[in-house]
Amino acid sequence: MNYQPSLPEHNDNVSHQRPVREFFVLITGVLVFVFIGYWVLGLFVDVAVDYLSSEQEAKLFSKVAINWDFGEELMPEEQAKLQGLVDAFKPCLSLPYPITVSLVKSEVVNAMAVPGGKMVVFSGLLESVSSTNGLMFILAHELGHFKNRDHLRLMGRGIVLSILAMLAFGGDSGISDILVSTINLRTAKYSQSRESQADHTALRTLHCHFGHVGGATELFETLKSQEEGFDFEMLHYFSTHPELQQRIDDLHQLAQELGFPVQETKDLVF
Amino acid sequence: MESLTIFLILLALGFVFGKLAEGRHYRSVQAREEMLVRLPATSCKKPMGNSPPISHAQLVHGHVVISVDYFKQIMAGLRNLFGGTIQAYETLLDRARREAVLRLKESCPTANEILNLRIETSSISKGGGDRIGCVEVLAYGTAIYYQQASSQHPRP
Repeated sequence: MNYQPSLPEHNDNVSHQRPVREFFVLITGVLVFVFIGYWVLGLFVDVAVDYLSSEQEAKLFSKVAINWDFGEELMPEEQAKLQGLVDAFKPCLSLPYPITVSLVKSEVVNAMAVPGGKMVVFSGLLESVSSTNGLMFILAHELGHFKNRDHLRLMGRGIVLSILAMLAFGGDSGISDILVSTINLRTAKYSQSRESQADHTALRTLHCHFGHVGGATELFETLKSQEEGFDFEMLHYFSTHPELQQRIDDLHQLAQELGFPVQETKDLVF
Repeated sequence: MESLTIFLILLALGFVFGKLAEGRHYRSVQAREEMLVRLPATSCKKPMGNSPPISHAQLVHGHVVISVDYFKQIMAGLRNLFGGTIQAYETLLDRARREAVLRLKESCPTANEILNLRIETSSISKGGGDRIGCVEVLAYGTAIYYQQASSQHPRP
């Protein structure tokens, strides 16, 4: 037996396929699985939310204390005033549990309905509205989310997505976080229909409280004029709120249909 | 959005630099394999054929540690879901194995033959926690020196 010095002509130990193609095939497979899973389980969430009564919800969240951290509540006086405004809606829009307002110092112009009967208002909102009616429409809009159980739907879908991402990529993987933040853009459409439903509830509540719907579109008009300053189309795509003009038109149309009058608004004093 | 951008940048960096490093390494491995092809390295326990009397033998080893790049890691992660061959790791292990044998041969350039060559692999970090995985390949064997060569190359 003699040694023949030679090298193999071909490397059979490695595959000679294109890795980029393989990557796209695999990632598409995973995303399709997650999207279908998310869609189907999202429907289950809707069914479960409809099945859960408000009383059961109140009972559930009275036992489970969730510590939401949005920021410090630095303005107790203003917060108490806001609480008063929300409480004033009680005869018009009844919820089986009390709503606690939390005012957070932030430039963000927004408010949020959070499970457990908590309404978070960012102080940027107070600077963007000049009338009490305008502010109360936004508060009524958030109450509308509570009434329509949108906060539960959103939370349910969030849980579903986290579970799916964890199944697909593992809990501690960065991809899960990326997927969660990416897929949230996709919920925009779903949440737009819920937003306009909350707008409708808010309009009725505002009419019930003031006897007219003046100031209902105030914030949207302000935001629209700000937005026209820098025309950035992508904003519309990423926005979970329906395009502002569409929302304004929608509210005007509904007010006309229901015969709600529009009268002078009261100045906001804070 | 930001995390997605960071992910894509890391993926692209991993792919480009991983590809460049791999190409450079393969070129180096091929050139050195051609240089060292005349030094037999076998898994036989005895010298091949009618070899001259042996003057001395020596344990030789070569090892290498190669890190996984981000692209390969993501590919392997995706493969974990579907099953099948992890092609991204094939070149990594192929390079590591060949490099380890080359280093072994380079450690004893005057040997006449390397017997009982063994190759072992282990992962230094399993990719948990910090998610950086790398592989070690160790090659070891017995280098033998024939008697007529021993006069030129005294025993170490």
